[in-house]
This record gives sequence, C-alpha cells and structure tokens, in this order.
Amino acid sequence: MITVSDLVVSYPSAPKNAVDGVSFVAASGKLTALAGPNGSGKSSIVRALLGRADVVRGSVSVTGNDVRTLSLTELARRVAVVPQREEAAFPTRVSEYVALGRYPHLGLWRAASKADDAVVSDALEQAGVTTLAARDTDALSGGEWQRVRIARALAQKAPALVLDEPTTFLDVAHEMAIFELLSSLARSGLAVLLVSHQLNLVARFADTIVLLNDGKIAISGTPRDVMKADRLESIYGWPVVITHDPAVGAPALVPLRRPLTL
Amino acid sequence: MFLSRRSTCIALALAISGCGESRAPSLAASDDFGDPVRIGPPPTRIVSLNPATTEILFTLGAGTRLVGRTKYDLWPDSAKLIPQLGDGIQPNVEAVLASHPDLVILYASQDNRPAATRFRAAGVNTLSLKVDHISDFRRTVLLLGAILNDSARAKLVIDSVYRTLDSVRTATAKLTRPSVFWHIWDAPVITIGAGSFMNELVDIAGGKNVYADIKGPSAQVSLEDISRRNPDFILAGPIGKSEIQSDSRWRIVGAARDNKIFVVDTLLVARPSVRLGEAAVSLANLLHPGALR
Amino acid sequence: MTRFRGWYWLLLVAALFAIAAIAVARGAVSVPLSAVFEALRGRGDPTVIAIVRDLRLPRVMLGALVGAGLGASGAALQGSLRNPLAEPYLLGVSGGAAVGAVIVFALGFTADFAVTLAAFVGSVAAVLVALAVSRVGARGARADLRTLLVAGVIVGAFANAAIMVALASAEPNTIRGALFWMMGSAADANWPRVGWLAVSIVVAGGALIYWAREIDVLSLGEETAASLGVNAERSGRRVFLIAALLAAATVAAAGLVGFVGLVVPHIARRMGLRAHRPLVLAAALIGATLVVAADLAARTVAPPTELPLGAITALLGVPFFLAQLRRSA
Repeated sequence: MITVSDLVVSYPSAPKNAVDGVSFVAASGKLTALAGPNGSGKSSIVRALLGRADVVRGSVSVTGNDVRTLSLTELARRVAVVPQREEAAFPTRVSEYVALGRYPHLGLWRAASKADDAVVSDALEQAGVTTLAARDTDALSGGEWQRVRIARALAQKAPALVLDEPTTFLDVAHEMAIFELLSSLARSGLAVLLVSHQLNLVARFADTIVLLNDGKIAISGTPRDVMKADRLESIYGWPVVITHDPAVGAPALVPLRRPLTL
Repeated sequence: MFLSRRSTCIALALAISGCGESRAPSLAASDDFGDPVRIGPPPTRIVSLNPATTEILFTLGAGTRLVGRTKYDLWPDSAKLIPQLGDGIQPNVEAVLASHPDLVILYASQDNRPAATRFRAAGVNTLSLKVDHISDFRRTVLLLGAILNDSARAKLVIDSVYRTLDSVRTATAKLTRPSVFWHIWDAPVITIGAGSFMNELVDIAGGKNVYADIKGPSAQVSLEDISRRNPDFILAGPIGKSEIQSDSRWRIVGAARDNKIFVVDTLLVARPSVRLGEAAVSLANLLHPGALR
Repeated sequence: MTRFRGWYWLLLVAALFAIAAIAVARGAVSVPLSAVFEALRGRGDPTVIAIVRDLRLPRVMLGALVGAGLGASGAALQGSLRNPLAEPYLLGVSGGAAVGAVIVFALGFTADFAVTLAAFVGSVAAVLVALAVSRVGARGARADLRTLLVAGVIVGAFANAAIMVALASAEPNTIRGALFWMMGSAADANWPRVGWLAVSIVVAGGALIYWAREIDVLSLGEETAASLGVNAERSGRRVFLIAALLAAATVAAAGLVGFVGLVVPHIARRMGLRAHRPLVLAAALIGATLVVAADLAARTVAPPTELPLGAITALLGVPFFLAQLRRSA
C-alpha cells in the first residue's frame, strides 16, 4: 500500500509549500481518492511519489519502503502511475505503447516473452481498448487515449495503482466503466489511489476520501464523513447542498446557483 | 578625360612615349576595371599590391619609388626592404593610405573593387590590372613604362623577355610534346587551365597541359579524372611533390606511380613577370633536357 | 497508415548494395561491373585495380559508414529529445568540429590525422560544454532535456563566431582548405580511416540499439518515463552523449555532411517504423544508402570538378522542409 507521512513539498520560487504536512494511507484492497480544489496539492503528492518534486520533510512509502530508497525500476514494479497529461512526440502503435508497461519487468535485452504478451492482451481487454490495438496513438480521441494509458499502467501489474485525473475526457459510459474497473481492481487486492476533482463519482466508488485544501488535509474519511455541506462550502467557496438518492447509494454534491452581482 | 579600350590605351601610351621626354599632357587611359587612369608627371610614391607589378617596377628602375608591397612580393632581394602592407586581395586600405602614395596598383579581381573605389575616393591615382596572360605582362610593362615616363626601357624589358620566350619556343617546336599535369594545390586538387599564363609557359616549353580544355585560369579536378587523362609528367612545388608521394591514392595516376614528378620553383614560375623567360627556360630544361643550348 | 512489412528490410539492404555497386563502378573512369569484380580479386589493368581498391571502395565504404552513423544518431536523438527537428549537428557537434579543424588549418598542420583528431576533440569538447550549459539552465537537479537543444544551439553560435574570427585574418590557402573541409567530402577515404570509423559506428551504434527500448520509454515524456522506472535526465543524457560521439566520429572522418541526421529518421518513420530498435537500424541503412548516392552524384554531376558532399545533402533540406510544411498545414 502507499503511505504518505507528514509530507512537505515545495517548489523553488514558490511563496508557500505546495504540500504542507499531509499524512494518509492508501491501503491495499481499497480505493482511496485524493480530492480538493485546484492547486490544493494533489498532483504534487503524485510527483513526490515519483521522485519528481522536492520533498522538504516527511516521506512517501510504497509497500513499506521509502520511495527514495528504491531505484526507479523497483518503484515501477511496485506502483504504476498514470500521470495527468501525456503527449507522445511521435505516434506509436497502441499495442506497442501498452507493451511498454512491461518495461520495468524486462531483462537485460528488454525482449518481451509470451507471458508478457499475455499480460498486455489482458490489460487491453480490462481497459476496453482491444479494438484499438492496431491503431496509432495520434489517431485516437481524447477518451480513447486516456483508456489506452490506463491499459499501459495495468500492463505493469503492480500491486499499487495511482491515477491522476484519469477520466477527464470520458463520456458517462466510459467513465463509469473505468470506475467499475478501478473498484474491482481494488477489491482484488490492489491499492488504488485516485486523484480526482469529481467528488460525486469519487463518493460513489471510493472507500476513503482525502480532501485537501491549500496543501493540508481538510477532511478525510468515508464518503459519508467527508460529504458535509458546510465543510465543502467553506473549502470550495461555493454554496452546495448534499443530496442522498437511494438509487445512487452515496451522497452527492449539488452546487447551488449564485447569480452574479453586477 | 576619356575612357577607351585597352588597345587604344596602349596606342596612346606609345604615341606619348614617342613624343620623347618632354612634359606629357595629363591624358587619361583606362585600367581593367574600366576606371580612368591619369598619365601625368611620374609618381614618386608607389604602392604595388601585386608581385608581378612589383617585379616589373624594379626592373624598370622604379624600385626606389616603392613605398609599399604585399607580403608575397619577395623578388628581387631589395624588394624585401620595402615595407609590406599585408595582402594583395582585400588590402588594408588604411595602411596603404598611411604611406601617402600617389599611385596604387591593385590586382583586378572582384574582391578588390571596394578597395579600388576607396583609394579613388581618397584622391589617389589607382591602377587595377589583371595580370593573367603573357600578353597581360606585355601591356602592363608598357603601361607602367608610360606612367613612369620611361617607355624606352619598357620596350627593352619586353623585347628581352620575348626574345627568350621565342628562342625556347623555337627550340622545342619540332620535339614531341609530352602531356603535363601541373599540381597547384592538394586538398582539393587544383590545376591550371587555358586562362593561365602557366598554361602558355607549358606550351612554350614544348609540353601540353592535359587540362588545356578548361577555359578558366584554374580548376578543381578529381584524381580519377587525372588518371583518365594520363599525363606523362607532373609538375609540382616541393610541398606538392611530397604530398603526392605520401598519398597512396595518387598511384592510380601513372606519372605519380613511376615517380615522373618534376619540382618547379614556385617563386619563379608563379607570376607572369620579368622572369618569364627564365621560367620558360627552366620548364623546357625539365621537359626537354638538353634541347636548349 | 503504412505498416512496415518484414520484406522491407530486404528492400533496404538490397538498395544499399545496389547503390554501392553502382558507385564503385561509376566515376571519371567508367568501369563495367564485371571488371569491378575482377579488380576486387586483383586481376586486370593495374590502374583499374588501384582505382577500384584504393579509391572507390574505401570511398563508398566511408560514405556508407558516415550515413549510417548520422542516420542512427538522428533517430536516437529525435526520440530521446522528443523533437522531430533534432539532429546531431544542432547539438554543438558540427560547430566544435569546425573550430578544431580551422585551428589546425590556421596553424599550418597539414598532416592527415591532425585535422581528423582536432575535429573529433573539438566536437567532443563542444558536446561536453553543451551538457554543462544545460545543467546551468536546469531547475535544481532536474535538467529539462529541452535545455540540451538550446545549449547546443548556444555552443554552435559561439563556434561560428570563433570560426569567423579565425578565418578573417587567415591566409587565402588556409581559408580555402578550411572551407573545403567544412563542406564535407568522402574524398579523403583510405582504409585506416574506414577502419576506425567502422569500429566507432559499430560500438556506438550498437550501444544505441541496445538502449533503443529505453528511448521508446523516453519518448513518452519525463513523468511517464519515471513511472516506468526510467530516469529521464540520466537516460536522456546518456543517449545524447552516445549519439553525439557517433556524429563526431562521422564529422572527423568526412567533414560536415548536413541534413542526413535530420531527414533519414523521418523517412524511416514514413515507412511505418515506430519502435526505436528497428527505427535506429533502418535509419542507419537508409542513411548509408543516401550518402553513398550523394557522393556518387558529387563525383559525376559536374566533371571534372567534384562537388562537396555537404552541398548535395544540403539540397535534401529543401524538399524535406516543404513536406513538413505541407503536413503541418
């Protein structure tokens, strides 16, 4: 699982810390969501996990090891990350792109084996992109590209999975399908850490929500604990109500209209 | 002042010289840039930016009037005493003007047009001459003779040189002409064409330049092409000869393989000047030893 | 989109051999193919044997090796720097080599190995300076690989200035020699030169092909590379250094032969190749073919003059950029 312990991250020439003493655990077998307003520090935590941000204090650990003590390859075997944005400079074939997910596991000459190929086909199927396998990555729609990137992370077959805003371009059907997939992966034993600003979806699928504000944890707990109108209002700065529809089975946030004062 | 063609210019110069040593009226001639040249009282401070004209001036007895030369003007020995002002191509205009010349002689290449304009703008009598052919040498000597008001001596110089050239030509006329490749530069390989006086020298000395079909003064050629033309002899400077001998690829040329390489004195043969006669003699001795007596 | 078939490899190899055969047969002295084979075996007219063995064969091999090195280097750099306009010469290699060569010419050392060595040392020095400069522009310990390109351009600009200063006060012969070298030529080919160039190409090219999978990961971007276990800066710098050394070897051997490293990887990609292992290999084959063809043209287009090799390859730039313009429009 992933443990974030009193993490402080800062960027050079920034007035205050991007992450200011955050601690939480994304446990195995659970879907944990990192939510919060824009700029609250969510992506910085993902970058700190990958060793791409300056950690001033605290640590991030994966399966009990501080990420700074692991080589990048060892880290890649333990956690698969889908970054928020990814633009390939040159088009690749989708199947070859997803196959790169096996890279951390390949030997000296980096040649794939039959077992690796099987993992790749499974990943393609899980993400629902088997039909796209022969296409070039520059010929995909935004949503298709996102699912292909998830397939790559799945091909890594790591015990932890971190996704930064994985469903931005997806329509309802695909979005729900991905969340169902993430949920089932969590149930099968993976530690799934999801960064998303879509509270409502997260509230339906996550076991734990960690809500950040200004680099610190504002609230954390089960969706029921976190989805409280008064707290969310003060964090987001917008009037909201929390509804409970039994068909949905989880609290939902509905923003109220606030006419602009001229 | 009027502009005229070269032949008319020579005729005029001869006409003036024919009038004797009396004060000649200031009459214009034109140089190889088509710019007018004043022929008046003989200049007393001459800068010659061309090895050929420097040598000619010394031979015409005007060595004492020289106040500047290029760094390549090394003959005769007394030339080395004249201050050298740098290069003849794209000369240092300020350095030249600082010697207060009343005549500047330039080699008429396109690179020198700006310099010629600047000299003229400064009010200095400027003469731009192309000295590429043996006929250029003749007309240069005549022109300089007219400018120095000593056309008689000019004629003597010309006659002496031409006499030697003619005697060499006659001596070799009936002999079989070996074909010759003249190696000027190594990387890239450069040789002479029909537009160079060196080609004429080879002809006079009883040889045949394998690249006489090139119209210009020089050409860049490939080893394979030289091999195809198969010259009997190679002419080269001392450095050129060692470059040829140390490069195994030259073995495709028969003359290099059989070491039929003659060393020429580059100072002697590299300019169309008063020592043309000597140059022709030295070449003829290489190509037809014993033919001259 | 195109799909690269297996038999395309045969096509590429066959094309290279065909153009090489023609290049050995053609020139100022026309040698029929049958005579070429005889000459290779040491039979026939001694002049023809010398032409084929001592002149044309090493020249064709040198051209092929130079093209292979530049093609492979360009393919690796474009992938690892994530820039389709990256090419080995942009990274200071050409500027540094030219400065080294011009200094040797200006000092009057005319020995064959002097210019070669100076060019190689010059380009290596320039590459190392570019690496150091890129670190200056880096935020903290993480050098953005894009600053490598900028650093290379800076080094190149400085080199150009140095060359101009050196040539401004130089003798005409020095200028002529230096310019001729800078325009690129396979004319100085001899077997020792072919030998060390071959060793360099095989070693550095082999290293690039080994790390080609890593370039695949690098080309996805720094964050994705990190999530797959690849340190983008360290790996990128490694590829950069090997590719630059490869290009430096070709410059030392044949002067500046431009545009090959830029254009050839695009041709390989148009043929349908994506992954860098086959891409680098194909770029090497295509590059070799292209340079041998260009050298053949240089020798036969305007007899008896030999055009500079770099001039012919520079002509490649025009259709290439026109094509790029059309594609982006």
